[in-house]
This record gives sequence, structure tokens and C-alpha cells, in this order.
Amino acid sequence: MAQPHSRDAPSGLLARYRPLSGVTDELIDASGAQRPAWAALATHLDALSPETFARDIARGEQYLHDAGVFFRNYGATSHSTRDWPFSPLPILLSEAEWSGIAEGLIERADLLETVLADLYGENRLVAEGHLPAELVAENPEWLRPLVGIRPRGGHFLHFVAFELGRGPDGRWWVLGDRTQAPSGAGFALENRVATSRVFADLYGRSNVHRLVGFFRAFRDALNGLQGDSSVRSGAKVGILTPGPMTDTYYEHAYIARYLGLSLLEGGDLTVENGRAMVRTVSGPLPIDVLWRRLDAGWADPVELNEASSIGAPGLVGAVRAGNVTLVNALGAGVIEAQAMLAFLPRIAEALNGRPLKLPNIATWWCGQPAELAHVRAHADRMLIGPAMATRLPFETDQPYALAGQMRGLAATDLDDWLGAQGPGLVGQELVTLSTTPALADGALVPRPMTIRAFLARTPRGWQVMPGGFARVGSSPDTTAIAMRQGSSVADVWIMADAPVPDETMLTRPQPAFTRAEAGALPSRAADNLYWLGRYVERTEGLLRLTRAFNARRAEAGAAALNARLAEELARYGVDAAEPLPEGLIRTFASAVNAGSRIRDRFSVDGWAALSDLEKTMGRMAATVTPGDDAALAMGILLRKVAGFSGLVHENMYRATGWRFLTIGRSLERAAMMADLLAVFTAPDAPTGSLDLAIEIGDSAMTHRQRYAVMASPDSVVDLLALDGRNPRSILFHLTEIREQADLLSDASRNGKLSDLSRHILAVQTRTALQAPETLSPDALRALRDEILALSDVLWQGYLR
Amino acid sequence: MLYDISLRIACRYSSPASGGRHLARLMPADLPGEQRLIAAHLDIHPPPDERTDRIDFFGNLATDFAFRGALDEITLHLQARIDRLGAAQPSGPSTPRAALAPEIAAIASLAPEAPAHFLAPSPRVPQDAAIAAYAAAAARACATALDAVTTLGEALHRDLHFDPDATNVDTPMAEAFAGRHGVCQDFSHIMICALRSLGIPAGYVSGVLRTTPPPGTPRLEGADAMHAWVRAWCGAQTGWTEYDPTNARPAGTDHVAIARGRDYSDVSPLKGVLRASGAQQGLQAVDVVPVPS
Repeated sequence: MAQPHSRDAPSGLLARYRPLSGVTDELIDASGAQRPAWAALATHLDALSPETFARDIARGEQYLHDAGVFFRNYGATSHSTRDWPFSPLPILLSEAEWSGIAEGLIERADLLETVLADLYGENRLVAEGHLPAELVAENPEWLRPLVGIRPRGGHFLHFVAFELGRGPDGRWWVLGDRTQAPSGAGFALENRVATSRVFADLYGRSNVHRLVGFFRAFRDALNGLQGDSSVRSGAKVGILTPGPMTDTYYEHAYIARYLGLSLLEGGDLTVENGRAMVRTVSGPLPIDVLWRRLDAGWADPVELNEASSIGAPGLVGAVRAGNVTLVNALGAGVIEAQAMLAFLPRIAEALNGRPLKLPNIATWWCGQPAELAHVRAHADRMLIGPAMATRLPFETDQPYALAGQMRGLAATDLDDWLGAQGPGLVGQELVTLSTTPALADGALVPRPMTIRAFLARTPRGWQVMPGGFARVGSSPDTTAIAMRQGSSVADVWIMADAPVPDETMLTRPQPAFTRAEAGALPSRAADNLYWLGRYVERTEGLLRLTRAFNARRAEAGAAALNARLAEELARYGVDAAEPLPEGLIRTFASAVNAGSRIRDRFSVDGWAALSDLEKTMGRMAATVTPGDDAALAMGILLRKVAGFSGLVHENMYRATGWRFLTIGRSLERAAMMADLLAVFTAPDAPTGSLDLAIEIGDSAMTHRQRYAVMASPDSVVDLLALDGRNPRSILFHLTEIREQADLLSDASRNGKLSDLSRHILAVQTRTALQAPETLSPDALRALRDEILALSDVLWQGYLR
Repeated sequence: MLYDISLRIACRYSSPASGGRHLARLMPADLPGEQRLIAAHLDIHPPPDERTDRIDFFGNLATDFAFRGALDEITLHLQARIDRLGAAQPSGPSTPRAALAPEIAAIASLAPEAPAHFLAPSPRVPQDAAIAAYAAAAARACATALDAVTTLGEALHRDLHFDPDATNVDTPMAEAFAGRHGVCQDFSHIMICALRSLGIPAGYVSGVLRTTPPPGTPRLEGADAMHAWVRAWCGAQTGWTEYDPTNARPAGTDHVAIARGRDYSDVSPLKGVLRASGAQQGLQAVDVVPVPS
């Protein structure tokens, strides 16, 4: 953008920034000078007027809002989503500083790999006294069924994350290791986009290392992990997610879309003869690599946590047979326990012959007498918490002791607690974090921060993401534990000394252009698309019926007709007396629910249209009054539904998924229309019924043009059931279903039609041969049942 | 003692269940010095589409099997001939309770028999304050780990009421203890929890009992279905010992072991995952008959 800020009063934002004493600050060094990495950003900020800066920030926040970035919150009775806590000011680190950190992290990742290989292999670390047997045995993430299994390809770890903090002496420390299923890489990417919108002009001309190369390298590495190298289709790598009820589901869907991987749930997988397979609409197809975002315990109810309903029964067997690569290996989470931090430094020294380049925070496991005594003696300078915790001290809600004070366990004596729970506890030195400038009430203030860094294994070794995401505390208290009070998330910019190359996701050097073959559609996704189509269509139909009801509410002569309408609505669970009926809202909620399970298959706009409709409906529910006001509201909602359908129709790629969505929509519309006509063209239908049917069929104009007569049952049935050119007619939609069914991969094999094709052909042909006189209300009801029965045929053939 | 064992487990589903994948631990283990497996055959009906026999972490014989189609009943029939020599018995003087912890810590091993596996909470045996208090009181006067095992086992046999209708296979341990009732599984889990709270490593043994007692002795409780008892590690000299709290006696030649682990979840005779909507029902029939010599 042009220089909008040049004429406004400069803010001098950074000039007024004052770091805390005795604490390292990311912007101002120990001598009080500004660190060179921040120079360009500082100049930019100082010249910016507060108004312009506010507008720039709003642009970044708008991006996150539009993209639908959210966290899911769990509640006892309801689930809600909250906005991403975006902190617009990035943290800048020089390339030199970062390469030192990166070197330390790579060394640490290699160490963790070695330790894992030993814990699931020879167990020499225990035998030689580097790790207490009890510490491993009590760790719930040391998965006994995986002991003795060497992962296919030889590596346990492929994607890891580390939590980093910087101490008062300016040194960086590792606060925690993430090896189970590290999240946040996708959020880092979204954060980067948002931050680059805030500093659009500056970002473009600054030497900020781009993130895309890291993701490209990892995607290529994942594709390279496939067992059978002769088959190279992207469909053989998937992301295994716990599903939409997970707080980071948004990220799973985002990464799947970004990297072009299929997003799979445990229910998508089945294991046959030791091979992991995806249930698809074309039958089970093998999958080679699963990037696991699901904690290992939940991955297989047969051999791991038997209570899991989100895993794939037999997955451990497939791993044992060497037929699938899990990223990371099942059991890799054993190393995340805080107690491991007490032993890793010494293990590193024993293995490498020198101390770790990047130390971790000093930790003592209370399962050993000498260490327990040490923790007891120095409890006032420690944080004491669960030994097996995999979260950072400020993230758990289990009891802990801070500086000698018990928290979360009233009336317990610290000494008794240590004595009783010894092996279950660790003591850690209290960590003081560095501060970084953060925006509070229009001023920049020092706030503590930690950085999450990401490493991916590639054929060329570990790649470190040049950046990451930083959590910035909400109070000036720099003890790490203060982060409990909430934090926001900031981008991390690694500043190069020279211009950085512009990167894209395209693999280079590029081979001859080939169009990637669309992978087979998982049955669950097909099922959700089908129901999304049906529920959206049903919502539209119900909106039309309730609008007609409310528009006639004040008409004295329409009482009988409205009574019939109310009866019809009641059959769909809708109480017509309610201004915005609960049953209608529920129907649409089912559409949103189906849609939320396949967010990776939606455009951002499509999803936004769906959420917008949901929000509008929620708002209206509170204010709408029966009658004209409600009819008006239904009109608005109808236009929004049309908006969603239009977006889908205009933008969705005509692959298998589209076909299931379309079949769902057409099936619902045809069935509802058959139902409607059966009621409102009946001989005993109240006065005004035929006009009502035409209104609901949105065909008033066409009817006038085509039939120069008053509406008769025959003309209405002709137009709304049998006219193949009317997009509201039953025949039109049966033809649509038939065309889509015939385009499915198995529609015809050796001249034999699929079940679905055969059934729809019969229904469509029978309907096409009807005449208005023969489509009596009873015949229409029979037709409706035949149409609904197609749903079972579809389920048997594809969705099971 | 030479036994012929016949063990039949049937699962019926009220509506046909599909995509079934199961894990059975029914083949008796060959345990040097304790029992010798002479012959064994596990028949599964209907014949599964996949079947793999392997050895699990704790050395048990595990059978993975799966069905592709829908079915309404599965039957497993184990036939085995076993020479039962007797359960592990103390091989030396038991360690004073205060000296047990350093002895455990000195065993730098994660081998299946290592005591380290059996001290921490396990899936079916979480920490429990009420059981810990009970154990502390019951074992107050016990000098050695072995004393504590026998004393606790007798106390539980006295204080718990054997009642096959009070609990089922998924009743939490704490609930069974609160009601002071249950079957062998509950008795064993409570005793394991109690021993661990005293710092004594303890695990679970699934097995079967001799059906008809030797003349002149009473029939053991639990002989008409699969049985369970407890093993405990009583010190470097003593090693493992096995005790049956349901019958208040050390496991002997009337007990035939099938599988061992930290608790029931490590040894459950049949784990299954089916895509089924209706209820399921299980039936067991056991015969453990001495072979005339």
C-alpha cells in the first residue's frame, strides 16, 4: 500500500519502550542498545500514526477471521470456538542467533531419536544406569505393545517441536520436547500470513526468512516415505486426526489442504492382512504414511487404550508387519515427560562426549533419594509438579508447588506430598523468561515470551522451520508460571543479512507437468458431503414452508391452508407457531455439523458462507416476531442459503465429492417436492393449496407463461413433478441423480450397472413415463418412498 | 499334576456385528519351573479371515484374528494338556519392607519380569486412597514383603464378600472395594492396588482352577469360569510369589496360569472391536480335569 502514514503524527511507539531491569529483552540488549535485527521494524513503527497502526492490525485480524482460524473450547455441556489470540507484533531474531539455536535443536532431535530407539529396542540406557527402569515403566506413553518393533524406514521421529525460552544471562533454554504429535506448525503459518498483512509493505521488502520452503521439504519427505516407491500418488499419505472435537482440528484441516494430503479419522481406516487401508467409495485402498495428530494411546483400541473409539483397530498390527509409517512412531510420546529432562543432559554427555549445545531447564526426578532430598531442601526456588506431565508447567491443571507453596491441593503439607508421591514428581528450577514488546492499550510494553520451534526430517537431514510461533504473556511477571494467566500468539521473524529467495510450494526442479490424480474419496467424507447436501436442501425447503406460513398468518381466509402447512411442517419436526422454529435451526445445525467434519474439502468462502448463515440464524432467533417479520427473516435466510449453494456450485471441483453432495441435494429436493405435491394437490386440499405449491416451487412465473389457465392439480403436477426442464421438478432431480450416479467410478463394470445406477434408472424412467393424471397423491407418496429408499442403496454401495 | 483343559468362550450379538477384530489371550503359557505346555489348540468358529499367533510383551501367547463379514456369534474353544508343577514359590527369605525400595531400584531392567513394571498405577488399577489406607492398617505389623502379601490376602478374603452378581468385568476397582464385594477379578485388582500402595510390586494372573477338588477338600471358588489371582515381588532373594485372595491361599497345583500382566487389561481373554449396534453376551465353560497317571 502507499504511504498512508506519512502525513499523520508519528507514534514514536518504540522510542517510548522501556524494558524491565534484570531481564533479557528481545528488542533492547543488555547495554541498552536496540538489537540490529529490529532496525527496519523499529523505523516503520516509529513513523506510524496510532490510527494507521490500528487499521493495519485490523487487517491482520480480519484475515484470521475470514480464514476461520479458531480454537475449540471444551465445556461440560457445550462446545464453543474462540478466536485465535493474535499478537500483531512479531519477535525478531537475527539469522546468526537463530542458526546457533537451530544447531542445538538438531543435536537435540538426534538425541531424542537415539533415546527412543533404545527405549523400544535394546534398553541399554536403563541397563547402564543412565535411566531408572521405574521412570520408564511408570510412563504411560511407553507403549509395551510397541517394544521390539523397529519402525519401517528406521526412524521414530519425523516431525518434532521444542519450547524455548531465554534466561536472564541471554542464553536459550529448552523448556519442553514435543514428540507425540506436535501441533502449531499450521498456526505458525496462519500467524505469518496475518502478520504479513499487518506489515504488508515492510514484510515485502524485509529480509524475513519465508516458511514455505520448510513445508515443501517436509511434504516431499512424507511422500518419499512410502514403502513402494513405484507408486507415487499423493493419496497414499494422510493426516490422522482425532476429529472435529479436538481443539486443534482447524489446524489439521488447514495443513491437509495446504500440503494436499488427505485428512483421515480412525473410522476411515481399516486393517486387512496387516495393511492399513482407507475405506473409500471405491472400496478399501492401502495407505502408506500417516502423519499422526492423534495421541498414540487412542490409535488402536485392540492393543492400546481399549476405550478409544477414534482409533483404527489393528493399526499396531500393521505397524508390526512393517506396512505403514507413522509420523511420529507410536510410542514417541514417552520422551515428552518432564522427568526425562532430568536425564537427557547426562545421556547426551555419555553419548556425544560433550554437553548439549542448548541446555534444558534444570530438573530433578523425586524418585531417587538424593534428588528428592535436593528438591526438599531447595523447594523455595523450584516448581514441583507431575513427573509424567507432557505439558509445560504453566499449562497443567494438576497440583503443583511453587516456591515452597502448595497449589491446587489445599491443606496438604509439601513434605508429606513429596514423601508420598516421590516417583510421580519432579522439581524444576524456576524459569525467568525474556521479554518482548507487546501492544497493550496503544503502548508497547515488555511481556515474557516462549517460542515453539519446529523440525522436520528430510532426506537431507533435519530442517528447522525458520520461525515458529511465540507465546506472549499477558502480565509483566516474567516467571514462566505466570503464563498460566493467558497468552497471545506472535509470529517469529528470522532476519537475514541479505535478501531471501522467494519460495513457493512447487517442487523444484519441476518434472514434466502432470495433473495429480484425485485420490479416492474416503467413505466418511462422502457420507458427510451427501448429508451436507441433504440438510442444506432440507433447510431451504423448510424455510420456504415457514415463510409461506408466516406470510399467511394474518389472512383470515388462509386458516385451513395454514393448518395444513403446520401439519406438514410438524412432520419435519418444525413447530410452525415458533417465529424461527427450533426444528429449523436444528436441521441447519446438522448441515453445519456435517460440513465441519470435512472442512479440508471446502473453500474458505464456502465455509464462511455456512458459518455466516448459522450466526445470522442465531441472531434472528432472539429477535424475530411471528408473521410478516418472520416471513421477511426467512427471505433473508433463503438468500443466504442460495449464496452458499451458489458458491458451491460455482467453485467446487467436479470430483467424486461433488457428486455425493449433488446426489444429497437432489434426493432431498425431489423427495420434499413429492411430499409437498401429495399434500397440496389432493382433492381435499384447502383453497389456495395449488398457488402455495407453485410458490414453494418458486415457479409462479413459469406457470403463468406455460399454462394460460388457472392452476389445476394437473398443471401443478406437470410443472413441479414431470417437467424435466424445471430445476424445481422431481424429474429434473431424478435425472441429475442418475447422471451423477453414472459418473461414479463403478457405475458400470463389464456392462453390469452398479446397484445405485440400476435403482435410479428404474425410478427415473418410471417417473418420466407418468402423466399428470396418473400421479395421484398416493402415487406421489409411493414415489417419495422410492426416492428415499435410494439413500439405503447409496449407503450400502459407498458410504458404509 | 497333569491336566486336560477345555475352555469355551462364546459371544453372541443381538444384531449382526461386522468388521470384527479381536485379540485373544487364551493359550496357556509355558512357564519353566511352574508349568509345562504339552499340547494346546485354540479353535475359533466361524473360521476367521485372518489369524496371527504371537508372543506379547509379558510373554503371553496372543492370538489376533479378524472377520470381514457380519456375524452373530463367535466361539473360541481351547483344548490343552498341561503339566502343572506349581506356582512360583519364595526361593529365599523375604526382604524387610523398608529395604524393598533400594532392591527394586537396583534392578536396572525393563525385561518382562522386572519389578519396575508392577509398581506404578496401570489402566485398571489406579491409585486409590481408600485401599491404601486399608492396606496400611492391615499390614501394619508385617515385617517383610511376603508377610504383607499373606496378611493382606487373608484380610481381603475376610472383608470382601464373593458375589458374582455384584460386579461385572468393567466395574471399577474402587466401586467393588466400596461395596466390599466382587469376584476374582475385583479381589485381585484390590489386592494389587493395596500391595503397590505399600511399595510392593504386584501383578495379575489369569488362569483356570481344577474343576473337581481332590477327595476330602472343598471346591475352590471360581472354578466354573476363568479365574484370576495375584503375583507379588517380595525381594531380590524371594523373587515372585503368587497368591489367590479369592480363596485365601497361595496359588498351587490346583491353579493353571494362562497369562500374566499388570492388571486385567494386559491379559483379558478376549478383546474385541466390532461395528455393532446391539448388545452382546458372553458365555464361558471350563473343565480342568486331572489326567489319570
